[in-house]
Amino acid sequence: MDRALKLRLETRFGDILRGAVRQRHDETEIRIGAEDVIDTLRSLYDEPGLGFTMLADLAGVDTGTEMQVVYHLWSATTSDWLRVITIGLSRDDPRIPSVTFLWKGAEWMERETYDMFGIIFEGNRDLRRIYMPPDYTSFPLRKDFYLADDAARSPGGGVRHMERTHEPADALPGTRRAGTGA
Amino acid sequence: MSDEPMPGPGKGPADVTTVGSDQPGNKPDALAVRGATAVAEPIVVRNEFWAAANPLAYDGGRPAEITHLADVEASGIATRDDARWSGILEVIPTKADYVLDLLRANSLWPLLSGLACCAIEMMSYATSKNDIDRFGAFPFRASPRQADVLIVAGTLTTKMAGPLLRLWEQMPEPKWCVAMGDCTVSGGRYKRSYSTVEGIDRIMPVDVYVPGCPPRPEGLIYGMMKLQQLIKDRRGHWPERAVGPTVPTGV
Amino acid sequence: MTTTFPPGTHQSADDPNVLLDDDFASYEPIPPYPPRTEREAEFYTLDDGEMYLNLGPQHPSTHGVLRVVLKLDGERVVDIDPVLGYLHRGVEKLCENADYHQTISHLDPLEYISSLFCEWGPVMAYEKLLDVRVPRRAEYIRVLSGELNRIASHELFMGWFALDLGGLTPILWAFIERDEIVEMLAALTGARMLFNYFRIGGVNGDLNHDFMSRLGDWMSRAAGQIDSNTRLLNENEIFVRRASGLGVIDTETALKLCMTGANLRATGVPFDVRRAHPYSVYPELDFDIPTRTEGDSLARYLLRMEEVKQSLRIIDQCLEQLPDGPIMAKLPRLIRPRPGRAWAALEGPRGMYGAYAISDGTDQPFRLKIHDPSFIHLQAVGALLPGHLLADTMAIMASLDPIMGGVDK
Repeated sequence: MDRALKLRLETRFGDILRGAVRQRHDETEIRIGAEDVIDTLRSLYDEPGLGFTMLADLAGVDTGTEMQVVYHLWSATTSDWLRVITIGLSRDDPRIPSVTFLWKGAEWMERETYDMFGIIFEGNRDLRRIYMPPDYTSFPLRKDFYLADDAARSPGGGVRHMERTHEPADALPGTRRAGTGA
Repeated sequence: MSDEPMPGPGKGPADVTTVGSDQPGNKPDALAVRGATAVAEPIVVRNEFWAAANPLAYDGGRPAEITHLADVEASGIATRDDARWSGILEVIPTKADYVLDLLRANSLWPLLSGLACCAIEMMSYATSKNDIDRFGAFPFRASPRQADVLIVAGTLTTKMAGPLLRLWEQMPEPKWCVAMGDCTVSGGRYKRSYSTVEGIDRIMPVDVYVPGCPPRPEGLIYGMMKLQQLIKDRRGHWPERAVGPTVPTGV
Repeated sequence: MTTTFPPGTHQSADDPNVLLDDDFASYEPIPPYPPRTEREAEFYTLDDGEMYLNLGPQHPSTHGVLRVVLKLDGERVVDIDPVLGYLHRGVEKLCENADYHQTISHLDPLEYISSLFCEWGPVMAYEKLLDVRVPRRAEYIRVLSGELNRIASHELFMGWFALDLGGLTPILWAFIERDEIVEMLAALTGARMLFNYFRIGGVNGDLNHDFMSRLGDWMSRAAGQIDSNTRLLNENEIFVRRASGLGVIDTETALKLCMTGANLRATGVPFDVRRAHPYSVYPELDFDIPTRTEGDSLARYLLRMEEVKQSLRIIDQCLEQLPDGPIMAKLPRLIRPRPGRAWAALEGPRGMYGAYAISDGTDQPFRLKIHDPSFIHLQAVGALLPGHLLADTMAIMASLDPIMGGVDK
């Protein structure tokens, strides 16, 4: 838990951050909006006092009400991992600038996030499906994509209300329920 | 509920063996099934009790056709190469049939079709410690045209199902299929997943199922020896076997 | 039923009446839909003299089901387009529908060669969510079994790398080594490959007599055996001349491609998560981080073999320093962490394995994102391959050591 890192981040990015800088165990977490991604990550990468030059992971999250993109960064200047959560992407048309201008390795990570959630990364030269077949129409990791579960009537199946299947015996894999965007 | 304690194993009045298996006087053959024959009758299950929800699935239920040879075979100019006597003498299986089956069984060349984790155990079964070279099966052919047996080792996903079926169709007869690992037998731990096929018997006929996750190499050796036995006993004849899930609905 | 044709009746391929399955005239263009992205359009336009070759999902190399579309100019590769997803099993979605304990068994088959590392990352993330301290004995057992798994994985890498360069003996020797180690781990964990051994808060079972006797027996021979295996290849002129200068990456490119592990250390960056961001009991263990600067396949291979030696050192120290104590922290049966997020990363044989777990207070993880090094390294193939010959394609991919289970999740 690096308190100095928290101070550095608050002084550098104070106004862009949505919410406080949180720290737990060996992770520091900041939240920004989608429009600040390019500037924030470029500053984190370039500035010698911050120096977060290694992108460890790029993940998409569907919270049910919104979508988020989470970046995990490593720097030689601090003993903490930095987690940058980009909040506020809408579930109907999630768009976020791509970070492939900084790390070419983010291209496939963004492709995977697009394939699983439908988040469009603007600036990614190769945003197509990577896991599912190219003519697949659903985005599997979204919370409104239900797994076919023939044991859904059992207490173990589909605990969360969003994921309760209502016609389990007829649900086929890939079935999307009504009321979702493209 | 009666208040006498339940008799332990081997102590009840109707138990066949009353002595533990490590004690003298134990009769293990008392438990053998009477009347069993060495060569079982093949069970040919036609796909009559299950139909896909989508009428166009599984090729619309039509039987598979190999159109470019159908009229050739119908015209009768082709002959069987099983070295049989023709006509009325055909019913007598010859020593040559037996020899041909022995040849096929003892040099089953698998196709390199390892998909996932079971492929590692298949490689382990092929290498020095569990050597399949002694069964004649070491050459894993890269080309399906040269392979006899397709050991599907690893999870089959919907994206891979097309290429795998194409490989199966490219293999020339006689060919056999071994489903290795839980994922190919029934879907295994990925049964609920959105992108896997629940068992390869949904798309291709299977001769031997080897369960396990992954099955030990010894398990796969046992499965292949069972396959050799099937070949020698001329069971599991390929043109008539069923394709489709063999689990009834409602289960 | 096999049929034979008497001579004179066989219909040849030139006969227009014969309808073949593969009608060459009607082959669909690759891909059968208009290109949707810039990169796809760039790849799927052919210059003069170029052709496409499809290294289909089934191919003689042993990486697994990976399809690579190569754009070739004669024998030289101009560009490649890897197509993944033939082993995508939906593990992350399945983990969202399973209890925390059940997810551990889902995570084994991701990188099935190094299952323990795939389990370790998420287990560390769950322990962070629960604020649970793992007992020291359990940590030492984790490191011990992890390093054994690392040695087995690197031995297999040696076998596959040599196989893709054409050598048939090293893979047999590699599987002998692997079989011994894996039987040891089976005595400890109960399974040969998908161990399902780590638990949230510790490990499943303590060391037992069978495991310790096998381990002692193997350790007395291990250094010599591994040395002779490695010498077989290091002293082979064909291997050395083919592998050196093959698939060179420089430091800048490797860092931009987010590579980690031996692939990055072969380019000169001494980044090892065990030292850069220590976890478990690695701070108490003494080992080196071998690094090389050439960045070619031979460097990656030599580096992995040196890591095997370092792993043997670590195992020695673990056995000496192993403390007594419980092997599992006290946890309730039903795990319900407080809502929160946790990230954990560790160094496995292929690179940095990571897991990001989000908990929403229920007994199932809300989101589990697995970071897999093979996925990242396969991206590098597109930057490495252009300019090399067709025969080097598989060799370069083998030198980056991808496992398709991890790539496709």
